[in-house]
Amino acid sequence: MNRFNHLPTLKIDTAQKISFIHKGKKYYGAKGDTIATALFANGIRIFGRSLKYHRPRGLYSLDGESSNTMMEVDGIPNVRCENTALKEGMVIQEQNVKGSAENDMLGFLDKLDWLMPAGFYYNVMHKPAKLWPFAMKQIRKAAGLGKISPDFKMPGKYDEIFLNTDVCVIGGGPSGMMAALSAAKKGLRVILMESRPWLGGCFEYRSREYQNRLTLHERAHQLSKEVESLENIRVFTHASVVGTYNNNLVTGFQVGKQKDVFDERYIEIRAKSVVVATGCIERPLIFDNNERPGVMQTGCALRLAKTYGQLPGKKAVFSIGHDLGLEAALELHDLGLSIACIADIREDGQDPALLKKISEKNILFLKGWVAVKAHGRKLVKQVSLSSIDGLVKRKFTCDLLVASAGMTPVTGPITVAQGKLKYDTHTGFFLPDVMPEKMYAAGRIMGLEHPLSIETSGKLAGLKAAFDCGNCSIQEIGEAKKDLENLSGPVRGTKLVTAPVKGRKSFICFDEDATIKNIKQAIGKGFDVPELIKRFTATGLGPGQGGIPGHNLPLYVAKYQALPDISIKPTNVRPPLVPTFISTYAGAGHQMFKITPMDEMQRKDGGVFRNIGVWQRARYFSSDFSCQKEIENVRTNVGILDGSTLGKFRIYGPDAVKALQRVYVSDMSKIKEGRVKYSAMCTDDGCVIDDGVVVKQGENDFYFTTSTARAGQTVEWIRYHTRYDGWNFALVNLTDSMGVINLSGPNARKVLQKIVDMDISNEAFGFAEYKEFKIQDTVPVRAMRLGFMGELSYELHVPSSYMKSVWLMLKEAGKEFNIQNFGVEAQNVLRMEKCHIILGSESEQRTNLLDVGLGFLWDRKKADAKTVGAVALRQAENDQTRLKLVGFKMENNGRVPRDGSLIVDTKVRGYVCTARNSFSLKEAVGMALVEAPLAKTGTRLEIFEDECGDHRIYGKVVEMPFYDPEGKRMKM
Amino acid sequence: MFFKSKPMWGKKTQLKSSYDVVIIGGGLHSLATAYFLAKDHGITDVAVIEKNYIGFGGAGRNTAIVRANQRTQYNVPLYKEALDLWPVLTKDLDYNLMFNNCGNLNLMHSEAAMNAARMTIATAQFHGVESHLIDAKQAKEMVPALNISEDITFPIHGAMFHPPGGVIRHDAVVWGLARGAAKRGVEIHQETEALSIGTKNGKVTSVTTSRGTINCKQVLISAGGYSAALIHSMLGIKLPISVLTIQAMVTQPLKPLLNHVVSSGAYHAYANQTLKGEIATGAHMDPWPNYTTLNTAHYIKHQAEALSEFLPCLRGIRFMRIWGGLADMTPDMAPIMDGNNQVEGFFMDCGWGYFGFKSCSAVGKYMSEFIAKNECPDMLKPFALKRYEEHRLMGETAVVVNYTPDN
Amino acid sequence: MALTITCPVCGKRNGYEFKFGGEEKGPRPEEKDLTPKAWCDYVHMNQCVAGVQKEWWFHKDGCGSWFTIYRDTTTNLEKEAGLANHQEADKS
Repeated sequence: MNRFNHLPTLKIDTAQKISFIHKGKKYYGAKGDTIATALFANGIRIFGRSLKYHRPRGLYSLDGESSNTMMEVDGIPNVRCENTALKEGMVIQEQNVKGSAENDMLGFLDKLDWLMPAGFYYNVMHKPAKLWPFAMKQIRKAAGLGKISPDFKMPGKYDEIFLNTDVCVIGGGPSGMMAALSAAKKGLRVILMESRPWLGGCFEYRSREYQNRLTLHERAHQLSKEVESLENIRVFTHASVVGTYNNNLVTGFQVGKQKDVFDERYIEIRAKSVVVATGCIERPLIFDNNERPGVMQTGCALRLAKTYGQLPGKKAVFSIGHDLGLEAALELHDLGLSIACIADIREDGQDPALLKKISEKNILFLKGWVAVKAHGRKLVKQVSLSSIDGLVKRKFTCDLLVASAGMTPVTGPITVAQGKLKYDTHTGFFLPDVMPEKMYAAGRIMGLEHPLSIETSGKLAGLKAAFDCGNCSIQEIGEAKKDLENLSGPVRGTKLVTAPVKGRKSFICFDEDATIKNIKQAIGKGFDVPELIKRFTATGLGPGQGGIPGHNLPLYVAKYQALPDISIKPTNVRPPLVPTFISTYAGAGHQMFKITPMDEMQRKDGGVFRNIGVWQRARYFSSDFSCQKEIENVRTNVGILDGSTLGKFRIYGPDAVKALQRVYVSDMSKIKEGRVKYSAMCTDDGCVIDDGVVVKQGENDFYFTTSTARAGQTVEWIRYHTRYDGWNFALVNLTDSMGVINLSGPNARKVLQKIVDMDISNEAFGFAEYKEFKIQDTVPVRAMRLGFMGELSYELHVPSSYMKSVWLMLKEAGKEFNIQNFGVEAQNVLRMEKCHIILGSESEQRTNLLDVGLGFLWDRKKADAKTVGAVALRQAENDQTRLKLVGFKMENNGRVPRDGSLIVDTKVRGYVCTARNSFSLKEAVGMALVEAPLAKTGTRLEIFEDECGDHRIYGKVVEMPFYDPEGKRMKM
Repeated sequence: MFFKSKPMWGKKTQLKSSYDVVIIGGGLHSLATAYFLAKDHGITDVAVIEKNYIGFGGAGRNTAIVRANQRTQYNVPLYKEALDLWPVLTKDLDYNLMFNNCGNLNLMHSEAAMNAARMTIATAQFHGVESHLIDAKQAKEMVPALNISEDITFPIHGAMFHPPGGVIRHDAVVWGLARGAAKRGVEIHQETEALSIGTKNGKVTSVTTSRGTINCKQVLISAGGYSAALIHSMLGIKLPISVLTIQAMVTQPLKPLLNHVVSSGAYHAYANQTLKGEIATGAHMDPWPNYTTLNTAHYIKHQAEALSEFLPCLRGIRFMRIWGGLADMTPDMAPIMDGNNQVEGFFMDCGWGYFGFKSCSAVGKYMSEFIAKNECPDMLKPFALKRYEEHRLMGETAVVVNYTPDN
Repeated sequence: MALTITCPVCGKRNGYEFKFGGEEKGPRPEEKDLTPKAWCDYVHMNQCVAGVQKEWWFHKDGCGSWFTIYRDTTTNLEKEAGLANHQEADKS
């Protein structure tokens, strides 16, 4: 096809050819083409087939409202070719066709529509029940449009930016640019978002006079130059807004240009004020075969010529209801399109200047006429027109039918931000009625068409936005308002909803193949509001959402039920306003985990790491996940563990003790200096959520630890439970600034002694004692003698910056004993043998302090402290139906049950928390939570494992702990 | 035309001055209860009162997943019965509920999670519900799109596979139950707002609506996310409920890609493919009470980040629609079903969180029995409100549910 | 919705920086003679107001303070948010 190459409005460069592959064949487009305009230029008219009836579909719009031009591009399904830029080497395939889009073997389905009334599937295929699984398989295969490979890897780079601004303007047409300019000239920061790759909106491709011989496209150029010249306006082109939210949050994404480092980028903008200047799309005209290839909207036909340099057809019929249709017909006529007839829905009200030109050019013009049917099996060959009342008909031969009922304002950004629309009888639009706070509408979405009105409304909105930012006076706004009032106001819209047709092949929604007849069927079944009709007929639920049916559906539903205008309510629009790649929303990707100071060294030592809460921790140090060597080494020698993830806090101040009394169940007023106090925190339900140790560092000054999992919530928790008290204390989270080394095993003292100067003999530094000292006069260490694993053990709290040094010193000192790392799983087994609980393993949400046998920690004589959980513990104390923690051994030296196995009789009576084959004890032991009657020592436990069928294994309740019951080893 | 158009749930009628039972809320629990009251107990003088239209709330906003692999012995039998009822209802209602019995795959991302899953699986198996632990490779065989590599935030260790679960067409359940109830004489009054409940001497006497007052001796509030506010404002009964917004979204439609429901606790995400071909996905809640059903920018991004990791091929697919619904969460993730407690003749069925859809069939059956016999069936006894006062939370979740630091 | 919360220390910030802390129920009750019902009322029970309520928030990704605000649960907007500017602009 010869393409225009000298029009001033062109966005293509025919001199630069771009090659691409369509269905295996090589084609050329021009630089600046979209995929669809390149295909169209190569004579391709049928792009794909429709979802249900496999009807041929072609180019209808250039703004992506429907699935008509969706194709598979480079393995990516459902690409909207009409507004996706053509790139060198693209490989394009048709979708949802059996055979080809041209000759689809499923095309016969179009004749079977009578078998498929609205919601038919609810009434068939379930009798007999056996039929359904087969039918479902077929439905699944038939449904869906594109396909994607399960191992598809999305190419490209995806970026994200988060911006703050004073004013965000959505839409870079004349009103949006005016809004941006007027706000920017008030000294404000402005962001302008435009979905097309260039600014200019509805001025950009039109040659009509703006003022003083200046054309609209020249004016668009003028404005965009000015916008780009202002440094406080940041322009994003090819950037669609996808969501707006209250408090003026705007989200969108931008498609990258060739030189950009991203393919798409997610944009999130917090603005003080927002202007919505999104303009209009067209309201589809509904008649028989209204989506046949060869039928297209006014803007599409005009922009094909003016922007993309090709005539949309050879001989055209126009069926329109708006002056823009007349304007387009005239422009296209001048470019060489032959026009058989223009049918205008309107009886009157046309712009006399346009009418004069039409008559000058001898174009047949019918007022009060409309298209009723497009003929031609695959492409439009003829068109039947009719008078609005349906009484008189005429037929014309053509290959192009330009059809449009009028305009539809793009109000999505207003309604998803919870603005309210109201049906306006004059324009036939849903116009903004209640705007979201600090959001203003401008331009064509207000029903304006006159170029000066559009611009002035933009200026006014920009000033209102500036006012919100404190940079504009009310007087100025008043003046702009007056200016607008003196210009021509909203244009009258056509009332026509459908041509005079029965509607069997008149499509209200292209994506879902929903016809006017389907809508009538739904209403007949009692689905009488648009939202329910949407659900029952799927109208507006396809890939293009409400783009095609959004305006027509409520109008038609009201008309069919003869409802008054006041009852016409728009259907819901939901984000994203433009379908958006998951890769684009995901953006740059984030690293989620914290690492301890010992991360690298432990990895070098062969640590197998796991994600545990927000941390990455070394769980094993060999591929033997039973950890036999790690465990035996701690029991007989000495092991070293990185415990840095423990929560670590300092609390100090006159009321520090009161705060501790509130959250800990023990009496915290009795903490002795130099001693370690073990205690627990409960919820108000008495359920134990944390355990740890507290030491006194000085007067009203305490250092305490929490479990790894609770570290993040501890400050919040303590401050929450003291929020009414006005107590004077300071609380600092030291978790990240302090590391912890746990040195455990009978040789632990010998290793530690080598690097410290003080006496650490059992007499000088006994069990449950606390010491502060310095290593080599430099490294401050807080050391505790604890026995979580049942062996002689030192927990050394060291500033994170010194952790590696102290760790290396200990490893060096331990060399002669062959000191070994151990990980979290070895610790888990070691402490289990000692029956020390880990919250979350031996407890769950409903487990209270008494259930797990920690009742000894609870001091009942401090009611004044209002300790969290105390009331519930007192009330639940004598409840015999609660679960109790017990230790058990397996009968007859049997194998260990898997964690999570159930304790049962005829019902579930409890479950196994942790159970292991104990290397230390040479038998299988574990802990379980069981109902109180089963908790007595000696009780036989029937254990039900997953996949055990009828087989059961049995254990016996024994005394706890299993290992070193007298606790000699940890005190030695 | 091979079927005639008749309004599916009867013509619009006037509100009568009295009914035996009034049900407030036109969602699934209400419609199911009304249906079973009529069908099993012969109580047909029933009015279902709905402020908007039937299925407006959670019934139309869920992602239609059904399953019976709950955690405790109280819940599993109830959900099992609900699952078993779908084919029965399809037949009895003569309406295709489109039960896609595809099975649910619940991904596990740590050794600890695998152990926790084992307990859930054992509980299911003990109660005759099929559920199995499978490893990552088996999961990949079932869902080829899964990323089982180690280099993602939460590597997949395995999955809990629950073959009897799946997806149902949620709208079909609403319409089918409404039609079934209406056929048996139940009146469904849409665009009718319940304003107050009248009581005398501790007994229910009437319900006042925007269209007049109805005398009745029994009233059920099962209004989904709106229940707690209604119950408090009408009867002064406070509930341990926090009403949160939960969001879900769908991608553009695709040819078959996922043949099972896939969910992940660690990623706060689940995904399944609807019969229409869309990937429906959701899971996270905005953790503060509100009644807006609005979506957030934060969440759709979170969901994209999560899916990008464990179902990476979806990066090439576009989201096309997001919506929100209400979840009335209790501290123990288990519902409150109670009646004749504070006020005689008053019944409540609420606190379902995001489990309201999967349970509706069985709950309708047992709540109707409760109302008809004025005696709580054994199946529902564990769900009484009193449990919170007795410090006996249900344990449906292992970990504390954090809506507030309290619970 | 895009919740924002006004922290008394840090000002108006993105709502996701905060954690919700429940309806305002007053200080912890005295333990003496606290019945299970009264305890449960304080700990678990909510009014679930559909409208404006006084409630607690914690600035977790900020200053770490607990404070109360008024918020309309049907719009997710803080009640004290100034509407004045908006209305004046429209009046002119």
